[in-house]
Amino acid sequence: MNNDIRVGVFVCDCGTNIARTVNVPQVVEYAKGLKNVIFAEEGKWSCSVDYLAKLQEAIKEHNLNRVVIASCTPRTHEPLFKKTVKEAGLNPYLLEFVSIREQASWVHMDDPVRATEKAKDLVKMGVAKAILLELGEDFRLPVKQDCLIIGGGMAGMTAALNIAAQGFKAIIVEKQPQLGGLLNKLDRIAPEEVSADAMVKAKAELIAQNENIKVYTNTEIEDIQGYIGNYKVRVKTNGKSEEFDASTIIAATGMKEIEPVGQYGYGDDSRVITQLQLEGLLKSNGLEAKRDVVIINCVNSKNEERGCCNIGCLASVKNAMALKTINKGTRVHILYRDLSIVKDELSYLKDARNMGIKFIRYTEERQPEVSREDSHLMVRVYDLLLGRELKIPADLIVLTTAFEGDSTVDQLKGQLKVSTNPDGFFQEAHVKLGPSDFPSDGLYLCGCARSPKNLKDTCEESMAAAMRASIPMKVGYLEAEGIVADIDLDACNDCGICVKNCPYGAIQLVDDRPNVLKALCKGCGLCAADCTKDAITIVHYSDEQILAQVEAALEEKAQEKIIAFCCHWCALGAVDMAGVSRLQYPPNVRIIRVMCSARVATKFVLRAFELGAAGVLVAGCEFPTCHYIVGNYKAEKRMERVTKKRLAQKGYDPSKLWTAWLSATDGPKFAATMRAMTKQLNLE
Amino acid sequence: MSDSILIIGGGIAGINAALNAADYGCQVYLLDDTASIGGMMARLDKTFPTNDCSICIESPLMYRVDNHPNIEILTNCEVRRVNRNNGNFEIRLVKKARFVDADKCTGCGTCVEACPVSVPDELDGKIGGMRKLISIPFPQAVPNASIIDPRCRYGKMREQGACIGGCVVDCSQCRECPIALCVKACKDEGKDAVLLWQADKPMDIEVKSIIVCSGIKSYEPSTGTYGYNVYENVITNLQFERLMNAGGPTGGEIVRPSDKAHPKKIAWIQCVGRGDKELPYCSKVCCMITAKQVIITKEHDPSVETLVFYNDLKAYGKGFYDFHRKAVEGGTRYIKGKPFDIFEHPETKNLTIRFEDLDKGELMEEEVELLVLATGLIPSDRNKRLARVLGIELNEYGFFKEKEPLNAPLETNVDGVYLCGGATGPIDISESVVQASAASMKAVIARR
Ligand SMILES: Cc1cc2nc3c(=O)[nH]c(=O)nc-3n(C[C@H](O)[C@H](O)[C@H](O)COP(=O)(O)OP(=O)(O)OC[C@H]3O[C@@H](n4cnc5c(N)ncnc54)[C@H](O)[C@@H]3O)c2cc1C
Ligand SMILES: Cc1cc2nc3c(=O)[nH]c(=O)nc-3n(C[C@H](O)[C@H](O)[C@H](O)COP(=O)(O)OP(=O)(O)OC[C@H]3O[C@@H](n4cnc5c(N)ncnc54)[C@H](O)[C@@H]3O)c2cc1C
Repeated sequence: MNNDIRVGVFVCDCGTNIARTVNVPQVVEYAKGLKNVIFAEEGKWSCSVDYLAKLQEAIKEHNLNRVVIASCTPRTHEPLFKKTVKEAGLNPYLLEFVSIREQASWVHMDDPVRATEKAKDLVKMGVAKAILLELGEDFRLPVKQDCLIIGGGMAGMTAALNIAAQGFKAIIVEKQPQLGGLLNKLDRIAPEEVSADAMVKAKAELIAQNENIKVYTNTEIEDIQGYIGNYKVRVKTNGKSEEFDASTIIAATGMKEIEPVGQYGYGDDSRVITQLQLEGLLKSNGLEAKRDVVIINCVNSKNEERGCCNIGCLASVKNAMALKTINKGTRVHILYRDLSIVKDELSYLKDARNMGIKFIRYTEERQPEVSREDSHLMVRVYDLLLGRELKIPADLIVLTTAFEGDSTVDQLKGQLKVSTNPDGFFQEAHVKLGPSDFPSDGLYLCGCARSPKNLKDTCEESMAAAMRASIPMKVGYLEAEGIVADIDLDACNDCGICVKNCPYGAIQLVDDRPNVLKALCKGCGLCAADCTKDAITIVHYSDEQILAQVEAALEEKAQEKIIAFCCHWCALGAVDMAGVSRLQYPPNVRIIRVMCSARVATKFVLRAFELGAAGVLVAGCEFPTCHYIVGNYKAEKRMERVTKKRLAQKGYDPSKLWTAWLSATDGPKFAATMRAMTKQLNLE
Repeated sequence: MSDSILIIGGGIAGINAALNAADYGCQVYLLDDTASIGGMMARLDKTFPTNDCSICIESPLMYRVDNHPNIEILTNCEVRRVNRNNGNFEIRLVKKARFVDADKCTGCGTCVEACPVSVPDELDGKIGGMRKLISIPFPQAVPNASIIDPRCRYGKMREQGACIGGCVVDCSQCRECPIALCVKACKDEGKDAVLLWQADKPMDIEVKSIIVCSGIKSYEPSTGTYGYNVYENVITNLQFERLMNAGGPTGGEIVRPSDKAHPKKIAWIQCVGRGDKELPYCSKVCCMITAKQVIITKEHDPSVETLVFYNDLKAYGKGFYDFHRKAVEGGTRYIKGKPFDIFEHPETKNLTIRFEDLDKGELMEEEVELLVLATGLIPSDRNKRLARVLGIELNEYGFFKEKEPLNAPLETNVDGVYLCGGATGPIDISESVVQASAASMKAVIARR
């Protein structure tokens, strides 16, 4: 026993919210009897300003070096208490938070005796963990003010200008001889009808004048090594290699048309072209007057393989109008599936119809067909409204094709250690809440490199990516909370699993040995749980600490108890929701918080059964949500494929290990799970 | 502080703009005129195109805002006057009375339990959602504090038993109230957070730039549209969303209003209200909202029959079309066509829908047990006033106008005032987040 450890336990009444059900004075007395507890006290409102001041005094007066707060939920109140103990001179990582309101008083209202017993257990578990807590620190990685932008289309140019406007350095690498990307091939930009060339020219001039922007054209990326604040980039310009440093990287590599070779006569007949080729003809005024033009939309889009191309409808209507403007007499048919222009759609389509452009809808099942009759091209399409097939002659057929990522993406994704979808569009960190970020800090994306989109959306995404990249550059460092992985290289056998599995690229090989870039680590614990050598410790959620909680919980009446490992985010959210909604469930469960369900190692579960637990629950976020990208998936897989097998091997009944994947509103589901488990395990 | 940023609207756009700017190092005021930040997302169940649970992904950001040293949250607060001075905005705000000291209130809910009067909830009233006269907006609210319905305070609810006194004056006249049940409950808890005599308070701030994130509203169809407000079992997609939500008024049970039974056949009608004077535009997200709702309906109970009447399918975003396919493959029938007649069966309260199937060219009918109107998104009803106060323009639909959408996206006709999210028009969450980062980029550059 370590006698230097001096724990203070502060048990809150929460007015009567806790005290009405849980016998708080009893819990306090109980706490005083726990080992290393120097001080324990009841507080009416622990979070009130007065009490926080008292708490700080108590820390100083009793020389406390560990603090256990037993009150509401860490999800809302932990930051407040962390701040409080920090102000009292205590390292905030030496605080442990125990939830006796959401997990006891609110959910076992008609069983004060067992609610009190549970509260005591929770406090005991908290103290057991607190004793083992270690000093934590926040980690910082320095970040300088230079950003590499891959791709010099409108996305890359816009991002560069925004980065440079803050006085930071932007380095654009463009593989083509000039900036502008797709816009160099377009005629006019709808719906504003401005010239694409003029737009590129205006931006390129601003870039040329800006001394914070360095442009490499005709240049390819050869190699990228490192991490945020410390990327080493090697590029090759006209056969000559050059190296430079960058702190952040934005991928703005755009997209290209998927050539519809062999479809609708494309490739065999020069009168069948793509939308982009039509743009080229319009741009160079190279189009002779046409009599009959048929535009076929959704070529290779909206099928099993891929979705809506997002800009095809706009481009087709724009170009149909351009054809009509060149020659009013040209008959233009647009064969479409669904019209999806969205912004200003109604007025835009009205204008098109007023110009005499004809729209014919077709379905996925009944695609148009192109044939050659004499020297003519003939398009057959089934008109759903008329209920019969139409034959439309054409001297030009324009295919609105689908898109894919740039041809260099395959190589780039290896260099950046990021992923793409099957069409080569980069995968963002989170479709909704992290649209401009890659999972690893320091890497961002924008424009058509993410998915096809119109120019306005491209520019908005570029400003967004610039902002995301600018935050660490402005702050000067990237900071991570102290809950991080730590590898004991003496125990490590260099198997490489952790390097491969880390969703954030936070574990990299240095001299062939794994090295945790602490500032990049989010502390999910996936690596530690899967480490076969037990070589990885998660600070604040170490094996020792978690096992201590398991042992404390099961010291008495183990056979009546269920150990539940709940992730901090949604599973604990559901527990809290059950509490707020005062849903009543049996008090057998003892919850142990982990940051992510992926932290739950097989040995934790095994230990619980060894000590006689009636059952174990592992609860994480409902699929597909996970605050660590894939943690819940990995946890489920581990429990089903590894843990249950191990339990069976050791002679424990694997059906006593349950999993639950909960959303933060799933209070009812959590309560129902507890009822079902208690029943199944014959604990009633 | 003169180089701070004011963010108006605390939905997902405002929250993201605030976090970006604050992480960058700016001082930020995040203002909302309702009692909590969170906006529409706080009320949704799952979110397309991945079906992530909405509050699960939003509440961690809300807590981050709450604990961010650079962000001051101002809820229940309005912008009243704006002056330009030396490139700065001098702003007069009004903190509306909450009748609860939000600093003292811990959100324990004892006052809510004590309150004897329930009234239909603004959002969920039509589907049976009730709230007390003193209430917490939703369990994850930030700030997590109660608020009193002003109707109560003026003594208007006394007859309903809101408090037991027969006072002749309204509550604002007394400094101390011994009889209001919420006041008493809070005092018994040892707090004294309910303040019936609280008054609106002005507050002056000075900022360098402003981001407007006032968001969207769900369009409420006029009475009679497809039987809305006439037939009990005709509801909007927002109401349906609340039915699906475990945090909603039915605890996630999809039940129909007339008899609280689980409907076995449900139809959705797209583009409701479109073409009316109010919605002469495509709201673009409703197709995906419906895809989400049919998928989740089937997840609740695969035996429920689902059909959707649609026009042009909008599946414009990344992963959207796959999501739509998932809806179709799950067994939902998509029928191209707009119903022209709905009538109710008096005993069963079921609804018969008459429509033309445009793919088949046939007139047909279907009987369903619940009808959901997929209505579009409209601007915040406070936009007009806000536009006037800020001196910025609205477009013809009532969303804020971008000065030059292509060359200067998200900028307004007033330098230093930027837009993002639903303030610019109908939008999904992902785009709102993108625009929020983009607008915060503009705002921090403008600060220089
Ligand atoms: C036919 C057609 C019509 C369109 N019409 C309209 C319209 O009317 N209105 C509208 O708003 N939008 C329209 N668009 C969309 C618009 O063109 C795009 O939104 C915009 O050009 C995308 O810009 P970007 O920078 O993301 O991509 P891109 O323009 O594709 O630029 C990407 C750049 O990155 C470079 N690059 C790629 N990989 C590398 C690498 N590894 N190393 C170095 N450089 C690399 C490429 O060479 C390219 O220059 C249209 C698109 C098409 C195809
Ligand atoms: C039924 C329904 C389902 C949906 N489902 C999805 C989905 O599954 N996936 C998806 O991506 N999108 C979905 N959406 C769209 C999504 O809700 C919006 O994209 C998103 O909420 C926009 O965020 P916002 O912050 O711009 O606006 P809001 O969420 O509307 O927030 C605006 C905030 O500003 C405040 N405010 C307004 N005016 C003022 C003022 N004058 N002063 C102060 N404060 C003000 C409001 O109180 C509010 O808190 C759905 C919408 C609806 C209606």
